[in-house]
Amino acid sequence: MQWPKKTAAHLSALALGAAMATALGVPGALAAAPLHPRVDELVAAKATASGQRLAAPAADAEFLRRAWLDFAGTIPSATQARQFIADPSPTKRAQLIGRLMAAPTFAERMAEVFNIQLMERNGDSEDWRGYLRAAFATNRPWDQMTREMLSPDFKDASLRGAGHFITRRLEKVGQQETDYPGLTRDVGRLFMGVDLQCCQCHRHLTVKEYKQVDFNGLFTVFSNARLQAAAGDYKTPWVQEGLMTNKYEFVSVLNQVKGSTGPRVPLGAEVPLPDPAKDPLWIVPPNTKTRSAGVPKFSALGELSRRMASPENPYFARNIANRIWWQFMGRGLVEPLDLHHAENPASHPELIDTLAKELVAHRYDLKWLVGELALTQAYQRTGVLPAGAPAAPVELFTAALERPLSAEQFLRAVLAALGEQERIVEGRGWEGLAGPRHTLKEFETTFLGALANAPREPELAVNPTLRAALFLRNNDRVQWLLERRRGNLVDRVASMTDTAAMADELSLAIFTRPAAAEEKAALATHLQRNAGERERALGRFAWAMISSIEFFTNH
Amino acid sequence: MNPLCKPWEHAASRRQFLGASAGTLGGLGGLLSAPAAEALRAREKQVLFVWLDGGMSQLESWDPKPNTEFGGPFRAIRTSVPGTHFSELLPQCAKQAHRLCVVRNVSTQDNAHSSGVARIQRGDPKNRGVAYPFFGSAIAKLMGPTASKLPPYVWVKPGSGGFKTEDAGFLGPRYGSLAFGDGKAPEDLLRHASITAAEDVERNELRELFNRRYAAPRRPAHTEASSFVFDTALELMKRQDMFDTSKFPAKDLDRYGRTELGQHLLLARTMLEAGVRFVKVGSYGWDTHGDNFNAHASLVPKFDRAFAAVIEDLAASGRLANTLVIVMSEFGRTPRINGHAGRDHWPEAWSVAMAGCGLNAGVVVGSTTEKGTEVKDKGHDIGALFHTWFRALGIDSSKTEYDNNGQPLPLAHEDMVAIKEALA
Repeated sequence: MQWPKKTAAHLSALALGAAMATALGVPGALAAAPLHPRVDELVAAKATASGQRLAAPAADAEFLRRAWLDFAGTIPSATQARQFIADPSPTKRAQLIGRLMAAPTFAERMAEVFNIQLMERNGDSEDWRGYLRAAFATNRPWDQMTREMLSPDFKDASLRGAGHFITRRLEKVGQQETDYPGLTRDVGRLFMGVDLQCCQCHRHLTVKEYKQVDFNGLFTVFSNARLQAAAGDYKTPWVQEGLMTNKYEFVSVLNQVKGSTGPRVPLGAEVPLPDPAKDPLWIVPPNTKTRSAGVPKFSALGELSRRMASPENPYFARNIANRIWWQFMGRGLVEPLDLHHAENPASHPELIDTLAKELVAHRYDLKWLVGELALTQAYQRTGVLPAGAPAAPVELFTAALERPLSAEQFLRAVLAALGEQERIVEGRGWEGLAGPRHTLKEFETTFLGALANAPREPELAVNPTLRAALFLRNNDRVQWLLERRRGNLVDRVASMTDTAAMADELSLAIFTRPAAAEEKAALATHLQRNAGERERALGRFAWAMISSIEFFTNH
Repeated sequence: MNPLCKPWEHAASRRQFLGASAGTLGGLGGLLSAPAAEALRAREKQVLFVWLDGGMSQLESWDPKPNTEFGGPFRAIRTSVPGTHFSELLPQCAKQAHRLCVVRNVSTQDNAHSSGVARIQRGDPKNRGVAYPFFGSAIAKLMGPTASKLPPYVWVKPGSGGFKTEDAGFLGPRYGSLAFGDGKAPEDLLRHASITAAEDVERNELRELFNRRYAAPRRPAHTEASSFVFDTALELMKRQDMFDTSKFPAKDLDRYGRTELGQHLLLARTMLEAGVRFVKVGSYGWDTHGDNFNAHASLVPKFDRAFAAVIEDLAASGRLANTLVIVMSEFGRTPRINGHAGRDHWPEAWSVAMAGCGLNAGVVVGSTTEKGTEVKDKGHDIGALFHTWFRALGIDSSKTEYDNNGQPLPLAHEDMVAIKEALA
């Protein structure tokens, strides 16, 4: 497999840019200068400078599985895999990406990605999920989403879900204090790529730029917000901001030096506080009779979120560009994702600058960025390392990196692979079957319980766990999926006779690729040895496939 | 110096353990020939950590003060070590005193349960804004699984079981504990009823075939990690009987006592024999603010019987020489008796009992004042105990550091040192 000739690639990119622009709703003028060839130039230049070869393009099957997992959150059927592999069109990859990104499942998938990244398995809410889905379905710009999350309008039914990011983090757990420092840290990490935790008590000991004032400038904004229960106009828990007229004072535990700050975007400028002598302080003054706390004119959350989600704040665009790159390429250009600073340069400094700059020029259009990354050779390379050379450092992106499947992706993929999607997801096809009817809810609870990380533990890498291994080996529902049942994969394959064809069907359904000769031979031997109980033997063969690392990762 | 714990052994085995936990996830079994692995397993150091949640009274156990103002109603009895006395509630442990090392001048900082439980089990290091691992997670990280490949940190406890990640702190969830709630195996541990053992082996070999083929042209790390967890799962499943207290010999069940703590300590012994690196046993209900004396009269004998039995068994099998045993709470109890005939929280002066690997046997370290209100000298904080335990296991906690994403962190409080009198 070769990349198309350079001129052809650029031409087809232009044509596709236009095709995708229509699909994605991007103005034609912007789509006319695609980003992906520049990305590839920068990646190739760095690899060459480091004396490393780039891996070959991914085979069609490898690309197909990757694209489906990334853009639809699941894997294609065996039939879809056969069709794609057989399709002779030279532009079929870009067409597939365009199709998958235009489907409603793309917004669902993006909502899921951002739910996992932003909430880190720390509590869910229907409103929150609904907000994310609607935002991605309408391709809302990331700066707008950020303002909606950090300065939420709790009275607007379509926006209040965004407030879950803050309200969930302010819920009291047991006897612990309200976790304002945790919320402060998360805002820095997730929206700016700076983990300021150490700076709560002193300047950062290893990062020069992170100062105590940076943590506390954020902290004073969030600790001014009180969590309130749903009541009256508020259908969800909400936060009420207090009057803020004084700077927040702190002391360094290292040298006892005092400092103070008003609200502040970390590593940026301080927001001036209202002057009680001149400025009117209240929109609605407090009322002791009605016990209303009042609405201050100065909203620290509003001021902060406006200034944070702005081109004036370079960390904002770099953080999201880096996180999107990480999501689709398997490693951040800056690592760790939440440690952007001068002495921790990106693996490709010019590339992160370009991504950030272009994202600002495209008004924080994440769908545009995702579409461009999907068209890069970097995204479309094989994960198989070039033969005869030691593995290149991962940060060179010379071959595709393996990425974790989320528990949600794993569940959808396993249901699709084993042919139980219709029964479990749609609730159809149960007529005449013995045994209990299983529900999607039940499967989600079980699979997330076994495969998702613990709350607040970011899901950043492929992470085989003992819990997952025991689950795949012994769980009742996993076993249920592998029993022969009308129309499922084991049923379909059991009714075939040619073992080579059976191996292909299993492999296309589960791995999205034809079976290798070695695997065909293994199936033949396995069936011969278990001639008396063919269906159960097929179930075990399928188990070995869904329990393998090939199925467990997005590669 | 314990004849079985030579310094050169510590150095050699530690390098290998760190290697095993740092990346070659196959563990020692994969690095050594079978007889060598077997020989090493016999020497491998293990830990039994007994946690009496709520605070056992030192006055009704290791440090009795009979006939004093706060001494309470119980007598002190002689032990197998001349001159050393325990409370009469510990008659069986008294017979094991020559194997124990009791520190009577423990003096710690926190008198609240909510913070104290974690603070003590994390070793109360200097605050650097990171959550330190509990001792079990620390050992899981520093020493990894034994050659048995069983999970390195198992927690036998009343209540819920499963994978408990919160103990691991900054080390990350993989160093959390596998908890046997109410002593029962966690969910999905038992082989599915529809699969025979032979079928399970067969399908796992097929899985390895797919893994090998996939991994051949790629970086091996993920495949190795995957094989490792599936192997560990299998090792656990193979020992299903080990977790079934109903299959234990009646004689043992009686010796340990047919109580929750008794059964859990018996289970713990079985797990140590099977090769679990670190077993924690939890017991609740020791917070006796009211009716302290009746409560201790009921609780302590159950502990006494079970703990003495496990010490005796570990000694008889020769395992004690390589097993560090610790029993403690988050604090002791006030000498002053409150208006409800209870004792409150008292971190200022209390006792921790230990035994085994790397420790002196038959000794009492430190003492408290006549009425038991204060330690006589400056006492030992939990940081000093952590250093002592690390040293006993052959880990030099004054030199070894954790690497928390580039942030070097000491294993234990750097202003404290191991308790010399306790170390062999």
